[in-house]
Amino acid sequence: MSIINYAAKEINFKIVYYGPGVAGKTASLQHVHRSLPDGNKGKMISLATGDDRTIFFDFLPVSSLSVRGFVTKFQLYTVPGQVYYNMTRKLVLRGIDGVVFVADSQFERMKENAESFRNLEENLREYDYELDRIQYNKRDLPNAAPVSYMEYLLNRRARRVPSFETVASQGTGVFDALNTVSRMVLLSEFGQEQEVQRNAS
Amino acid sequence: MLHDVVIHENEATRIGQVLSSFLEESGVSEALLIDRSGQLLASTGKSPSFDTVSIGALAAGAFSSTNAIAELLGETEFSVLFHQGVRESIHVSTVDKETILLAIFNEGTTVGMVRLFAKEACRAIGAVLAEARTQPRRVGALAAPLTADEARTDIGPKKH
Repeated sequence: MSIINYAAKEINFKIVYYGPGVAGKTASLQHVHRSLPDGNKGKMISLATGDDRTIFFDFLPVSSLSVRGFVTKFQLYTVPGQVYYNMTRKLVLRGIDGVVFVADSQFERMKENAESFRNLEENLREYDYELDRIQYNKRDLPNAAPVSYMEYLLNRRARRVPSFETVASQGTGVFDALNTVSRMVLLSEFGQEQEVQRNAS
Repeated sequence: MLHDVVIHENEATRIGQVLSSFLEESGVSEALLIDRSGQLLASTGKSPSFDTVSIGALAAGAFSSTNAIAELLGETEFSVLFHQGVRESIHVSTVDKETILLAIFNEGTTVGMVRLFAKEACRAIGAVLAEARTQPRRVGALAAPLTADEARTDIGPKKH
């Protein structure tokens, strides 16, 4: 849910990283936080359990290029991946402008990817929203499934979305995914209606 | 889908006035108007050191989860939330379906005073926001659609 403040000359958007537990959602935000200069980011907040599993959300506000004199900010959130935290995930999805699904590329995690993906679709239906981007994470691991297989599993449907290969722990591909989803969000709000293609990068 | 929020100069001024009177009458040190998705809409206060963006995101999360508990108990919502600290306390109340008002205060006032004036402030802000929702979203510099070249975000290690 975008917020345009003409008095403060500021535009705010909300983007959520979704996916199964330990897929790399928090790692993606941590990389963004580590890499951005101080003036372009706020404080990163992680509501996690003692063993660093997200229990509610991670939160990181970042700013992008100004648009026609308006400071443009994106609030990045993650959700807890564990199956039993669904009510919490729904709360975090409230008012989203963009959503990125972070999948774990390891073969043995495909079932968790599929379950989380289904759960995302179900929760998005409540908000009348559709998925925007997929990040295939952990591409550096020896047991990573081929991207073609992951596309077959998660993205071969009537409406396909752009996907990215990432290694969040090293930051590979994380900004590519973030910049295409943030650009898509910006065009959805302020582009020409006929030009807005949620699927286009 | 929730409604997007647009605040024009006129509404910003009126909201600022309501928040300032609230501060004065109730004795709170900081008042934050927060969208329930976690975004800060306006703030007024005497303590510029507070990280209002983080407080907004966390307070919206706490308010949402408290309301989810209310639903599990068969309530529609808990319309007021109160956290008492040793020095600073927080009072959160409902403005409308999309917005909450958060007040940070210390021993200089009482929760009763805060509650009394928060109710009034919420009503006044609710009326301004209802009007704001009828205003056009894209005016002035944002009236014409962005070109593909303008819709760049460039989030990355380079400073803007």
